Amino acid sequence: MKYVRTNVYAKGGDFSDPTILWYARGVGVLKARQITDPTSWRFYAAIHGIDTPLWEQYGYLSPSDPLPPQADIDLYWNQCQHGSWYFLPWHRGYLLAFEAAVRAAVVSLGGPEDWALPYWNYFAPDENALPPAFGMPDLPDGEGPNPLYVAQRWGPTNSGKVYVPLSQVNLRALTDPDFTGVASGGSPGFGGVDTGFSHGGRPHGRLEHQPHDAVHVLVGGSDPADPNLPGLMSDPDTAGLDPIFWLHHANIDRLWESWLQGPVSLGNPTDPKWVNGPASVGQRPFVMPWPPTGTQWTYTPGDMANLADLDYVYDNLAPAGVSPTPAVALEAPPAPVKKRAAAMAPTRHNVEMVGASEQPVRITGRDEARTSVRLDAPMRRKMTARLDSVAAEAGAAALMSPGERVFLNLENVRGTSDGTVLEVYLNVPAGTNPAHRQDRRVGSVGLFGLRKASAPDGEHGGEGLTFVLEITEAIHALHLESALAANELEVRIVPFNQVPEESPVSIGRVSVFRHGR
Amino acid sequence: MTAAARARMRVRLPLLAVGAAAWLALAVRLGEGMHGAVHPGGWSPTSLVAEAALMFAAMMVPLMGAPVRHVRDRSFAARRGRAVALFAAGYALPWIGAAVVLLAAAAWIVAVHSPVVLALAFAAVAVFQSSPQKQHCLNRCHAHPALAAFGARADLDALRFGVSHARWCIGSCFALMLLPMLFTRGHLVVMAGVTLWLAGERFERPVPPRWRWRGPARVVRIALGQARAWLRPPGKEVLVPRAPTP
Repeated sequence: MKYVRTNVYAKGGDFSDPTILWYARGVGVLKARQITDPTSWRFYAAIHGIDTPLWEQYGYLSPSDPLPPQADIDLYWNQCQHGSWYFLPWHRGYLLAFEAAVRAAVVSLGGPEDWALPYWNYFAPDENALPPAFGMPDLPDGEGPNPLYVAQRWGPTNSGKVYVPLSQVNLRALTDPDFTGVASGGSPGFGGVDTGFSHGGRPHGRLEHQPHDAVHVLVGGSDPADPNLPGLMSDPDTAGLDPIFWLHHANIDRLWESWLQGPVSLGNPTDPKWVNGPASVGQRPFVMPWPPTGTQWTYTPGDMANLADLDYVYDNLAPAGVSPTPAVALEAPPAPVKKRAAAMAPTRHNVEMVGASEQPVRITGRDEARTSVRLDAPMRRKMTARLDSVAAEAGAAALMSPGERVFLNLENVRGTSDGTVLEVYLNVPAGTNPAHRQDRRVGSVGLFGLRKASAPDGEHGGEGLTFVLEITEAIHALHLESALAANELEVRIVPFNQVPEESPVSIGRVSVFRHGR
Repeated sequence: MTAAARARMRVRLPLLAVGAAAWLALAVRLGEGMHGAVHPGGWSPTSLVAEAALMFAAMMVPLMGAPVRHVRDRSFAARRGRAVALFAAGYALPWIGAAVVLLAAAAWIVAVHSPVVLALAFAAVAVFQSSPQKQHCLNRCHAHPALAAFGARADLDALRFGVSHARWCIGSCFALMLLPMLFTRGHLVVMAGVTLWLAGERFERPVPPRWRWRGPARVVRIALGQARAWLRPPGKEVLVPRAPTP
């Protein structure tokens, strides 16, 4: 049977759409099961990640709840792949297993046998608000409480109004031809960096960074009464508890397929380590409980590489749905993708640091933070000469080609406020409000996974996350304005939402890297 | 091979070469009558330090790949060699000091000739190996701090990172390192086994600290998996998609 994933807004995003109504009913069945049942709602959420104190605080777990056997916990829980080239294939398998469990519940209630998850394409015109069905406390016709509703979903302004501000998300990742990137300061690639089993690596691949991370924290936000409490979607250890999580990831999965079928993609990795997954080198396998009884299903990234082989299709692969909205267009690269495709060649991976800040940066409240990136003069000359050379060879459009690229790194970002988005600007003139210079904005960063990455016993030994933003065009423009001659680059970091005073965000170092020949 | 894998290899190969040279020297010393913590001519301060340095080079240098890559990647190209050298100095000196203490302790345990003392030593190793403290140290070995890029602060940060990395590395490895020194027969074989054990532990991702036995079975599985990956013939893998059914 062929399963078709459709746009959640196809019929308005409310309960008049049977796909959504059956999703709610199916989720209700899974939620009624004990956490000891591998096909229960909470068990699937814990596969992504579980933080027991947070779950207890939010009422999703009680100290008296019986837990699954430790062997099952060790096998299944805390498995999500982040900061890794396994991010996309792991989540595809996770979606398939969860979707099969919901489908089995839907069928048991008399629903359609071909039910499939809808996706939420927040880039489509007028579809960036939370689909209405997810914000209603009750099901229609007196069916009872709405299983798709959660209280801990506070949105980008922590007000409970949930939407994705289009100025904070972009589709630039889809312009990257390489699936795999590097962790040394250059492009992390469309799909992420070559790692082993990675429950929270760094840096995140470009699609994982944008829009994935940003949407997580923009939807989840933080508790307005206690900004240290993240919304469910804001934290990897609670994200799977929010029913909108699965629609967000269906969209990320759709964007993977869209990239694969697009004009710039060089395809999925063929390296055996990716194809066969971390289990092939003795690490944890990717494993899910499969309904109806929770049978153990093990899969590899290679198994997930081709959506058609899995009998799935999306109703629309256009990344932004129809045509880009003005806000998205602002962020989208101006370079024609076909021209890139014509000149396509694998990125050369000579990565060198060009400059770095000399002091850490601290961010609280809504106050912007400034830092100066000191450029090494010989490296700055090398970088600008290469940019000039690439531009001279094939025109400005070639700047988006893999010939010479420049990246800004926010290194060792630490804190506990996952529900934070930071806007990053380069060389905004003194006395000018950055909000008035959108041409100087190089991107937004959602701090998804910050708390875990900052914990001393977390994946990174407490040293936080590292974010990588492409700034090739911005640097070339500044170079043409002779603004780089002073060997200083001013970086302004503006919180899009409130960072609690008592738990500031710190950035260990801001650096610039060139990536090319 | 991916770019990241090539970068790993570029750092790993010289470290493995240093480790191999140290193993060769240890094998030569075996022929000279060195057996674990038993020195044929008795220990002198110089011989203790020399033996500790050799142990460090054989067992610890091959594990330095990830932090060395961090230092290298986050330094200006012109400063990479200097930064890595400072990191290595900061890492090696505390470690060699710790190895001297371990050797002296092992020499005393062996010299006492008491099965009870020996049993207590093995029990202490097993208890620490199972402890949350061991896991905490292992977790902290994954910490890669921000490093200053310019001038004396860059030098100091590289050195400081070496010392802090040594601290957590000593914390996670010292108990297992004691084991081979207690063996007066088969010393090198046990040492090789412990080295693989330690290497396997480094491949594991951090997990919340708790009491649990961290035996070698898991690391043997990882080592076999790594070996399989290395020995697998190059070339494009044939994708054999499976239906998502168990």
